[in-house]
Amino acid sequence: MQVSAEAEDELVRNAQRGDALALSALVDRLAPFVGRICGPIALEHGEDAAQEALIAVLRDLPALREPRALHGWARRIAAREAVRHARAARRGLPLAGARQELPAPGDPALARDVRSVLSALAPEQRAILMLRDLEGLSEQEAAALLEVEQGTVKSRLSRARSAFKRRWSS
Amino acid sequence: MSAAPVWPAAELDPVARLRALAASMPWVSLEEAVIAAPFARVWSYIDDMERGVPQFEGNVRRIEILARDGDRLALRSFAPGGFAMKLDAVLRPGWCVMRGAFGEIGMAAAPAGPGATRFAHFEGSRWLGRAARPLFRYFVHRDLARLAALATGDGKSPSHPS
Repeated sequence: MQVSAEAEDELVRNAQRGDALALSALVDRLAPFVGRICGPIALEHGEDAAQEALIAVLRDLPALREPRALHGWARRIAAREAVRHARAARRGLPLAGARQELPAPGDPALARDVRSVLSALAPEQRAILMLRDLEGLSEQEAAALLEVEQGTVKSRLSRARSAFKRRWSS
Repeated sequence: MSAAPVWPAAELDPVARLRALAASMPWVSLEEAVIAAPFARVWSYIDDMERGVPQFEGNVRRIEILARDGDRLALRSFAPGGFAMKLDAVLRPGWCVMRGAFGEIGMAAAPAGPGATRFAHFEGSRWLGRAARPLFRYFVHRDLARLAALATGDGKSPSHPS
């Protein structure tokens, strides 16, 4: 169902005032949105990241000044939460164990299992890939969101794309 | 090139969503439990609003559906003392949120393995504020125990996740 920008603004303002039904409607919209961002970055920890991102977005909603900034703001929170979870998970894994989890080169399952392909990339590379290629953000927007230089986005993206393509096609 | 990749999205079930919703309303009390009964049986008490809800909600003696439009309902509930309150609600499988002038109620459920259901329930009053949370904590705990006893049919209390 198409909702006008004015109706969306009204919904956000009502939710900011603590209206339970407006908050319920926002949860309907935001849960799949943050899940789409957290999944490819945090992988098996995606649900935990999405849960914490959704809690952070809703809890801090009264501080949002401009209702139309909601999705950009939620995207930033979700991406940071997902990277945080993915980094923590990586720190908790012994390196040898992590390597053993990767499919062997030439494994036919590799081409079909995007999760396996993504798990071979660093969380920062997954975040860049998701924000640029899935969410369609510009390099400038992705750099601001992840608080890195634009040049860093460019180089990470290039490395992430070639690593993804190489593994996906093999 | 192989088939186009399907990106792995993270899915939040209704219980996880209700947890987030409750976190945004600091005046409500939320409790979760695993009830040893299948989802369809547990949810039937919420779905059949007029007959089911008064059986476990201690503050509701009777409830009437005034209007229904898709998953949106207009309700009138009657407390044991006769006090009537109009409520607006959203109701669909696994998700129910009600809003009245003096209170908010939320319920969510998701299957938790064979024959078990994870259930979350909150109650609170924005009007009364955070000071009333201990009272609502008592109501929520009592109602959840009643629902579990009804759904399991043997009076067993729900098990609580750590």
